[in-house]
Amino acid sequence: MIKISQLEKIYRTEEVETVALNKLSLEVKEGEFVAIMGPSGCGKSTLLNILGLLDDPDAGSFVFNGIEVAGFNERKRADLRKRNIGFVFQSFNLIDELTVYENVELPLIYTGVKPAERKKIVEDVLDKMVIMHRRNHYPQQLSGGQQQRVAVARAVVNNPKLILADEPTGNLDSSNGNEVMQLLTDLNEQGTTIIMVTHSEHDARYSHRIIRMLDGQTVMENIMV
Amino acid sequence: MLYSYLKIAFRNLGKYKGFSAINILGLAVGMASAILIFLWISHEISYDRFHEKKDRIYEAWNKGSFNGKLSCWNTTPKILAKALQSDIPEIETTTRVNWTDSYLTKFGEKTIMMKASVVDSTFLQVFSFPVLKGDSASALMNPTGTVITLSTAQKLFGNENPIGKILELNEQYQLTVTAVVQDPPNNSRFQFECLVPWSFLRSQGGDDDYWGNNSTRTYALLKPGTNAETANAKLVEFRKKYDRDDPKGGFFLYPIERWRLYSNFTEGVEEGGMIEYIRIFSIVGAIILLIACINFMNLSTAKSEKRAKEVGIRKVIGAMRHNLMGQFLGESILIAFLAGLLAIVLVQLTLPSFNTFTGKIVRLDYTNAWAWTLWFGFILLTGLIAGSYPAFFLSGFQPTKVLKGAFKKTQAAINPRKVLVVLQFTFAIVLIICTLVINKQINHARNRNNGYNKDQLVYYFMTGTTEKNYTLIKNELLSSGTAVSVTKTSAPLTEGWSNTWGINWKGKQENDRTLFDRFCADQQFVTTAGLELVKGRDFDLETHPSDSTAILLNESAVAAMGFKDPIGQTLQDNGRDWTVVGVIKDFILHSPFAKTQPMFIQGAKGWFNVIHFRLNAANSVSENLKKAASIFKKFNPSYPFDYTFVDEAYGAKFEEEKKMGSLAALFAGLTIFISCMGLFGLATYMAATRFKEIGIRKVLGASVASITTLLSKDFLTLVLLSFLIASPLAWLLMNQWLESYAYKTAIDGWIFLVTGVVSMLIAVLTTSIQAIKAALSNPVKSLKSE
Repeated sequence: MIKISQLEKIYRTEEVETVALNKLSLEVKEGEFVAIMGPSGCGKSTLLNILGLLDDPDAGSFVFNGIEVAGFNERKRADLRKRNIGFVFQSFNLIDELTVYENVELPLIYTGVKPAERKKIVEDVLDKMVIMHRRNHYPQQLSGGQQQRVAVARAVVNNPKLILADEPTGNLDSSNGNEVMQLLTDLNEQGTTIIMVTHSEHDARYSHRIIRMLDGQTVMENIMV
Repeated sequence: MLYSYLKIAFRNLGKYKGFSAINILGLAVGMASAILIFLWISHEISYDRFHEKKDRIYEAWNKGSFNGKLSCWNTTPKILAKALQSDIPEIETTTRVNWTDSYLTKFGEKTIMMKASVVDSTFLQVFSFPVLKGDSASALMNPTGTVITLSTAQKLFGNENPIGKILELNEQYQLTVTAVVQDPPNNSRFQFECLVPWSFLRSQGGDDDYWGNNSTRTYALLKPGTNAETANAKLVEFRKKYDRDDPKGGFFLYPIERWRLYSNFTEGVEEGGMIEYIRIFSIVGAIILLIACINFMNLSTAKSEKRAKEVGIRKVIGAMRHNLMGQFLGESILIAFLAGLLAIVLVQLTLPSFNTFTGKIVRLDYTNAWAWTLWFGFILLTGLIAGSYPAFFLSGFQPTKVLKGAFKKTQAAINPRKVLVVLQFTFAIVLIICTLVINKQINHARNRNNGYNKDQLVYYFMTGTTEKNYTLIKNELLSSGTAVSVTKTSAPLTEGWSNTWGINWKGKQENDRTLFDRFCADQQFVTTAGLELVKGRDFDLETHPSDSTAILLNESAVAAMGFKDPIGQTLQDNGRDWTVVGVIKDFILHSPFAKTQPMFIQGAKGWFNVIHFRLNAANSVSENLKKAASIFKKFNPSYPFDYTFVDEAYGAKFEEEKKMGSLAALFAGLTIFISCMGLFGLATYMAATRFKEIGIRKVLGASVASITTLLSKDFLTLVLLSFLIASPLAWLLMNQWLESYAYKTAIDGWIFLVTGVVSMLIAVLTTSIQAIKAALSNPVKSLKSE
């Protein structure tokens, strides 16, 4: 599904040049659950941004679903993104002014799904995530675990092939964290590819494969059994 | 999608109530000003456009050169109409309109003063004043017929049929009502209550065939399909035929659509008029609206950190940039819509005072679909202007940055928000300076020595039997102690009604076409008016019976005529010899802003329309007026005692400038108000974003004063910069405005000093409330939040 080779990303300010990704190569197959680990500043987030088509590499190749996407413009990236990729963030990133229902509905609006169909899909997903009873609440009225469940619901509502999770349990206590990890595992078992950035060895154990990064390169791979 | 946008827009409005209120109120005030200006402009533009034959109606104008200066004016000889009709084949018909006069009108027990215009019988064929009763073709044919307006008919006859009723005018003439017309609309050049046929004027000896007497207005209706230019070309030969002595002079036809808006000529070339005010106010209206839009832009982008996360999320889950721009524009249009509703309320509330101020009858027409379309278009436009920059700015956020919290507000020395604040305050400061200069100019002219004593001086138009009983009235005013001095004149002291270049004197150059103001006065003119005599004496018929053909000159006239010793010189005017008996200092007859003109005052053989008398200072004014009223009632019983204080009439000369001054002040006030609302919003936002910084500074020992200064400093720098930009701009503008005045004030440095101090003070007051509040807050609170 994902094939990256010789990927480079360099951040420049007036005084310093930071190499975030240094000729990084990586492959993720469809249906895999991959965890990416490494110390702060090792390039995890940069990698995730590029994988999520939020950012463009400076050099190298990125083949997504058989298409070379490195060098795609913002418009093309956005189009590919909204149909194929779901995101889950550490800080949930729900829109405070929208209710649970409206937050989950939003991706469907942007992909142009008809209102009647939207209603069905959103209710289905809310049901699955056991958050239906909170559908008319605003994010700030929910607990962290509930908010992350809403975020996961929003990530999957478009039925994406790939979910990118950026420290999904980072803001949660352990029981809520486990609940979210279980949700991701379930999704993976249903066929969704998941790539997760995490600091937590505990969370990483839910994955099939752990990729460890340092200074913009992969340094080790652990296959989980 | 639209629904989702609206929903979030409404929720955002509710969430940031203060910001929303500032945004909506600011925009509403800006929009209301723009709507009022628009209403005024559309009223001005609609002037005289209701005539069905408007494409063919022209006014005959006169052109002549006086001492090297080519002037154009719209009074013509009475004979012109007839000559035009016979000589210019393009002209279908002509019609003349004489000056409007007030007539004492009686019907049975009812007496009213009626504003009447003497017009040719073709008047109703040329101009569209719908005839409600009677026949428009014949209504003005008969010398004893008259046409009245509907409201006059109702005043005089109630519900009775007015046709055939006989009115008594000025207790002398019997006129029969032949037709009733609709009242002239507010946007008509002609305002009358009654039309009197020209044949009536002729029967009274008021008509003449003299080409030198420019005393009426002449209008021409061209034949369909003809061209005014062709007609105008023929008018060159036409002039020669009627033997006018001025080689540059002549007549030309001036189209109806330019009467109201242009009609100003310099050296024979059309050069603006009302259109200049329309341009200025269009610009001012646009500027005020723009300033309100700038508030919106500034507050929206200032709020951007709060919206950044939303933008990031929306982008991550699939929103395209155009989706987001649509969303933000939708929000600004919604705010513009709410502001538009509020603006209508504001306009409705201020319209009565606006009408009083402008002397117009402008109203909001809620049934006009076109007006609603315009209103919606206006809202859309405002929303788009106000929302364009925020939409562009906010939709450009990178999700990878804003979601990681790496979003930083710009700290650049020049950022668009600062530029916009500077722009706002530049406008405001320019307007403040203009207001001050205009007021200074008015005061400058007010303090100018007018050349006579206005105090307690009253005039009264010689209506009815006043002229016949003049001597009796004068004697009684004096003997009763009501007045200390009385004289009669051809016109009020504040108005010049006649001028001429046709006067002759010994030594006059053949090509001298100096224009003299012509005035007539009875004896004791100099004493009554309080003029300053330089040489010779006042008119005095008792000592010098020959003074009926005596003449007084002002100093400018003496200079223009080149007299070394003016007393005893003889002047010829209107076939009569006048002997100079005195020279007076120039006094202001016309505009207090203009140079005084050469002038002569003819003695008792002249013609008289007005009585001037100076009230006796020993009595109270009300006592004097009461006595004067009874004296005039006694000798002119049918007419009301309508008097005017000369100082009030003189004060009216400043009306136009005063109005301009008030308008500039009003707009300056509005601009400052809207700008300050924006500044307040920005200060509030800034205090909120620097909450933590303030906490740290306080912990490290900063005083409230130093923090307040720190927070206000940025804004003050911007206002100072605006002042530096605005000052030369305003100076240029006002210098140009003052150019049009011969008697003008100087643009002093203190004006700029005062404006600078005042605008800084306003900015300090606006921002310091928030700054002090922030400085006084407990640092523990701000530091704990991290």
